[in-house]
Amino acid sequence: MNITVDVNELNTEFNVKLKGEIDAYTAPKLRESLFPISEQENVSITIDLTEVSYMDSTGLGVFVGAFKSVRAHNGEFTLVGLSERLRRLFDITGLADIIDIKSGTEGGLE
Amino acid sequence: MEFQSCVKIINEWDIVAARQLGRNVAKELGFGTVDQARITTAISELARNIYLYAGQGSVSIEKLNINGKSGLKIIAEDQGPGIEDIRRVMEDGYTTSGGLGAGLPGAKRLMDDFDIESIPGEGTKIIATKWLR
Amino acid sequence: MDIRENMEKKYHEALSTYLKDQNEQALYQGQKISRLHIKYNISPEEIISMHKNNLMELYPELPGKVLDSFDFLLEVMMGYGIAYREHQSLRHQQQELKTEIEIAANVQHTLLETEIPDIKALEIGAISVPARQMNGDYYHFVQDENERIGVGIADVIGKGIPAALCMSMIKYAMDSLPEHRHEPKSVLESLNRVVEHNVDPSMFITMFYGLYDPHDRQFSYASAGHEPGFYYDAATGAFSDLDAKGLLLGVDKKTRYRQYEKTVNRGDMIILLSDGVTECRTNDGFIERETLIGLIKKNMHLQAQEMVNNIYKQLEKMQNFQLRDDFTLIILKSNV
Repeated sequence: MNITVDVNELNTEFNVKLKGEIDAYTAPKLRESLFPISEQENVSITIDLTEVSYMDSTGLGVFVGAFKSVRAHNGEFTLVGLSERLRRLFDITGLADIIDIKSGTEGGLE
Repeated sequence: MEFQSCVKIINEWDIVAARQLGRNVAKELGFGTVDQARITTAISELARNIYLYAGQGSVSIEKLNINGKSGLKIIAEDQGPGIEDIRRVMEDGYTTSGGLGAGLPGAKRLMDDFDIESIPGEGTKIIATKWLR
Repeated sequence: MDIRENMEKKYHEALSTYLKDQNEQALYQGQKISRLHIKYNISPEEIISMHKNNLMELYPELPGKVLDSFDFLLEVMMGYGIAYREHQSLRHQQQELKTEIEIAANVQHTLLETEIPDIKALEIGAISVPARQMNGDYYHFVQDENERIGVGIADVIGKGIPAALCMSMIKYAMDSLPEHRHEPKSVLESLNRVVEHNVDPSMFITMFYGLYDPHDRQFSYASAGHEPGFYYDAATGAFSDLDAKGLLLGVDKKTRYRQYEKTVNRGDMIILLSDGVTECRTNDGFIERETLIGLIKKNMHLQAQEMVNNIYKQLEKMQNFQLRDDFTLIILKSNV
């Protein structure tokens, strides 16, 4: 079980590609990578989840935390490449209504 | 105080001198090889701590004789940055951190008594004793 | 000191036997001695010293250099000796920590205890099992003076001790809600403010709250991002998702919740669960909600408490007795 976090930075735009599983063991690593970015002013973060094979609710906690932080710093936060299962998780928790989410077919990052 | 001698710790070679002093005294007092190795290892750890983090200080060795019991006392003193959180430094698992105070829990375990005083900004004084059985 | 002397004697015997005749039997003795050394806390440097003393005794004419080499080895092993002592002490601490957590789990159990109301109209079964010692799931029943029954089920995002600590707060927030505020949407709105205000920003709670009124058989409910439960309609024999939309507790303090209503007829069932139930991972992947419905059907003839107990046992078996997440299942069965 592991995760790789690949951050691509262009001015205030951050494209983050995640690969692997997000659970209680890998969540701290993800949090450490996302939080410093989310605390900057006016950033635009796009996180690609196409290659995330598993995510439990701990991962959800990390994304909500990052989202709140980005919003507090006037930035934009987008999730792309969600599998059906992940999409459902965001739907159930009501997060799909407040976070900008683009599902799998709407395209990941190139 | 019957006997005391002291080595100033300024560079890495002084650690060897401190070990040598400790070993000689331990031998004189009649400590066996295992205890000799324990005492010198403890001296090494304390001296190394001074060399790496305090810049300079000293290690003194004292022979003890209290109520017919002989022992060896190590006094390691420095005027370095001091230790902010002694309790944390003495915690197990800290040894591997490699930071300031690493090796102190190890040194403590090798000796019978261990006492540490530290004032941040002023320095640290450690007194450790091993009794002859 | 006789343990030590005894150990030295054993070492001497085994070593001299082996040196006389290099056989497996003597080596096996060596392995047994190794275990004893650990049992009696004999450190590596002591073993080397023991070895050296034995050699000197057995072979007095041994070259001095060979003997000296053991002093060197002894010095090299000192680090391992320290590591060994540290390991001993860490093991001791781990044991203490384990005991402390066990006590904490008991305290939590007492804190979060809720009495299942006993009314004719409704048969109630509930089970909650933590994945580790402490539970991040919580369920709660209240009965007001109008015989209305409130049922809450909540799940902290995250597991273990932090989740459990968080849950104790929800319990107290619920207890301090005024009686007239047991409308599901207002319960969630109040709790949302408590969680938003008091909990670590990366901790969130999902919660479902329902209120059953036996006088008009109305079940009103609202959800804060909680895993949807099921509704069983006895008249048609069909199961449907107990859908309710709403945001997790603790994200936004201004969140409003929508309240839903359902008339509960005789034989109908309300099934509430935590995601530990749907996130059961078997060898073939996650269990489907259909599998779960199948299990419910299979146990439907039973009394509500037996139902939840059985379903838990069957799911536990399906995932080889390894619970990955806290598991909570509640079934309400209408008798009127």
